[in-house]
Amino acid sequence: MTTRTETTPVIPLPATAATTLTGLGALAVAASAAMSWTWTSDFPGDLTYYGSPVGLQWLAVAAGVLTLALLLATLGTPGLRWAAPTRSNNAVLYAATGALAVAAYSVTSISTELGGLANLEPGGWVLAGGGLLGVLGALGLPLDRRTHVPLRILDKRLFLLLPAAPVGWIAAHAIPGDKPVAPVMTALSGALAIAAGAVLLLQLGHLANSQLRLGKVDRPLPAPRELPSWVEVLLIVAAFGVGSYAITFGIDTDYGELFIGYLLLIAFMIAALAGSGLLGRLRALTLKYRPVTTGAAFAAAASFPFQTGEQYASVATNILIFATVALGLNIVVGLAGLLDLGYVAFLGVGAYAAALVSGSPASPIHVQLPFWAAVIVGAAVSMVFGVVIGAPTLRLRGDYLAIVTLGFGEIFRITMQNLNGTTGPNVTNGSNGIPRIPELNILGFDFSQTHALGGIQIGRFGNYYLLMLLVTALVVLVFARVGNSRIGRAWIAIREDETAAEAMGINGFRLKLLAFALGACLAGVAGTVQAHVTYTVTPDQYTFADALPPNSAFLLAAVILGGMGTISGPLAGATLLFLIPKKLEFLSDYQLLVFGAALIVLMRVRPEGLIPNRRRQLEFHEADEPAPPAADDDTTALTKAGA
Amino acid sequence: MHDLPQQLANGLILGALYGLVAIGYTMVYGIVQLINFAHGEIVMVGGFGALTAYLALPGGTTLWLALPLMLIAGILVSTLTAVAAERFAYRPLRNAPRLAPLITAIGLSIFLQQLVFSFYPDAKKARVFPKIPGDPFSLGSVTVQRSDLFLIIAAPLCMLALGWFVTRTRSGRAMQATSQDPDTAKLMGIDTDRIIVMAFAIGAAFAAVAAVAYGLRSGQVDFRMGFILGLKAFTAAVLGGIGNIYGAMLGGLALGLAEALATGYIQHLPGMHLFGGGAWKDVWAFVLLILVLLVRPQGLLGERVADRA
Repeated sequence: MTTRTETTPVIPLPATAATTLTGLGALAVAASAAMSWTWTSDFPGDLTYYGSPVGLQWLAVAAGVLTLALLLATLGTPGLRWAAPTRSNNAVLYAATGALAVAAYSVTSISTELGGLANLEPGGWVLAGGGLLGVLGALGLPLDRRTHVPLRILDKRLFLLLPAAPVGWIAAHAIPGDKPVAPVMTALSGALAIAAGAVLLLQLGHLANSQLRLGKVDRPLPAPRELPSWVEVLLIVAAFGVGSYAITFGIDTDYGELFIGYLLLIAFMIAALAGSGLLGRLRALTLKYRPVTTGAAFAAAASFPFQTGEQYASVATNILIFATVALGLNIVVGLAGLLDLGYVAFLGVGAYAAALVSGSPASPIHVQLPFWAAVIVGAAVSMVFGVVIGAPTLRLRGDYLAIVTLGFGEIFRITMQNLNGTTGPNVTNGSNGIPRIPELNILGFDFSQTHALGGIQIGRFGNYYLLMLLVTALVVLVFARVGNSRIGRAWIAIREDETAAEAMGINGFRLKLLAFALGACLAGVAGTVQAHVTYTVTPDQYTFADALPPNSAFLLAAVILGGMGTISGPLAGATLLFLIPKKLEFLSDYQLLVFGAALIVLMRVRPEGLIPNRRRQLEFHEADEPAPPAADDDTTALTKAGA
Repeated sequence: MHDLPQQLANGLILGALYGLVAIGYTMVYGIVQLINFAHGEIVMVGGFGALTAYLALPGGTTLWLALPLMLIAGILVSTLTAVAAERFAYRPLRNAPRLAPLITAIGLSIFLQQLVFSFYPDAKKARVFPKIPGDPFSLGSVTVQRSDLFLIIAAPLCMLALGWFVTRTRSGRAMQATSQDPDTAKLMGIDTDRIIVMAFAIGAAFAAVAAVAYGLRSGQVDFRMGFILGLKAFTAAVLGGIGNIYGAMLGGLALGLAEALATGYIQHLPGMHLFGGGAWKDVWAFVLLILVLLVRPQGLLGERVADRA
């Protein structure tokens, strides 16, 4: 697709004025952190001190400094040029917008929580002013823009909601409050108002888009400077160090406001760094040194329990379980294209199998297998279930698999509940589950005890975290090796077009069954660890949709949000989907609602996920490609003949 | 085995309910080859629409007067929901890879459930739905609840109406043509978009009838009722041969019968005494689905099951 681009400012300002404004704004945002933002310590984090930044204020420092650095780098300041290889001012704009977002969020949350703008101290005003100034200035810089973005108008019928909202409101208030239907009407008029607001916002967004005309513009990356390879390796290690620090900061945030500010900052900064070309550079480096990259990533992950306390190690262990299972699901969904809606049941099968042979006093099977044997049992039982479910369904269209797995997830839970001695034979202790699963003890290493490793105390969850990391490594290894093998390529071929793949001699059924069983088996392995981490397995841990991950819907969402068919995608998606509900407890009532809506919107807007697989991305955006212009008749005919 | 007639009657009534919901799956599938996972939630939304109409009526209204109004409200709500879902969620994805609309359907299903859960007053627990008052009827050894009368009358009427619509009207024949070959149908001047909307709307209307029947039977509606009902109805649709509207009804009846018989008699089989009763009925329905897919994946009345894409 050819998009015509130009490099012009949105707001016509003299170049020096724009640069100065942006710089001043960024400085002000950063400097405000040294001032008091509010007068009372009631706001979480206590932002009342001069000279000692805390919480949100550190985010402001980071945003301001990064904006300034990118601005200087695009200006070509010696010593900073590496930070913006493309010299694109869009990066500065994204960073400045990130600073404004952090500022605006801080100021609004201070004034809403404490009741009014009057609660802002000078630091708060400097922050808000600096944020605004920075964005205004950045809009005056010469930006990469499209020459023409047509204004999209929504379906005209949607605009009927705009007059309908006030009518609904009046109608709801006309009903006397003691009628049983009155609360229903109030809720309905509220929903109408929300829908009308959403339509209005969406249309305004389209309007802004057609005016700003900012879009993803790919500037070519200039050839990198020749560096000795040890420097390049060090750069990768440094990048992973920074990344590990950023993720640890996110997991350790101890109140919701800080976490939202953190998410805002991270989102905009990633956009800014991608625009500046720095991420492209890093990507090229990681591709060049794959083993180093993998090693650095695992070292960064393994360093986590050494950086924080036991409380966050427990969160991280659960993230890791969730992420590992999501990665296993990605083999099934992302590589082979099979929609598994009951995947969590395989985790449950593994966990139950491990719990039954763990020597728990509640288990009717009074054996205590060593852990390695329990892992094999869990994996094998899960795989058997995978084959039993998969064999009849995988011969048919994919949709059947989706609903059969959905059913399997539900039936698994019901069966585990029924095998309680009264409605069925006593195997699983019914809804009470199997409690008191003993702690692991591998080669004399007792997981329940605190050990000193390299002078740092690692507690129970730290131990399990490291064990789980091994399982994650196993799944990553399987994913990477199988994904790039003959089998993996066959899976991708089946995913793209099963009929064509079979015509090429691929045995579709057998390979799909292999993917399905392998996925089930990996989930089973994760389940065996999970059983020991949580002490107890109950049927209700393994549901289709629930407020807490892992459950089948969240697993699928982690894969889709992150990016189907990639390794880093589901890991990132799972981390986000675990942390967001955990940190934003005030959202908990509406979390699933937002989640459902997000799935629908995501499928329309960015079906390829946050970290897309290149091939997958092309496939999803086939329809966006415009028809080739008539002048290219010859080449079109050629490609058609070739295809 | 003395209660066999009673079990058969229970099974048929339950099966009629499944059949009504299964129509929605089968019609949409027959035309766009999409399993509309959210159909169970369309049922649920229809139930709450009918409940709202009941709440809006003055206190002493007899059910005979209220029932038609509830039915109209339920049909209105579920049809509007289904048509809006088609227009804004499914239609933009019609040419997308097959995974995309399925995931959208999951999202829609969760969204609708949570919408009712969060915003319908007191919907966090099951809400009471009116029942038809009076003693059950007795016909020999078979007793039938009065509330089930609605279903016994409505289900055959709906089926007759649908059969007439599909075979005798212009739109119905256009629908058949579209399901056989959408591209050719379009060339023949059929507005296939309109036909697709119609399929969603008819399925949703039947869903609302089923929701009212469900509410009358069980005396309550809750935000989760669509999940298992939808799963069962899909099983029924597959059992009858997905894409075939008579098959959906037949599959529903067969599933209802199988479920009633399994609930009633499986514990009398040797070695199975612990696996009977209501706690296991969903499990047996699922086992039946697996068996059907294994033995006769095209279903009782289905012909083609081959991949058409």
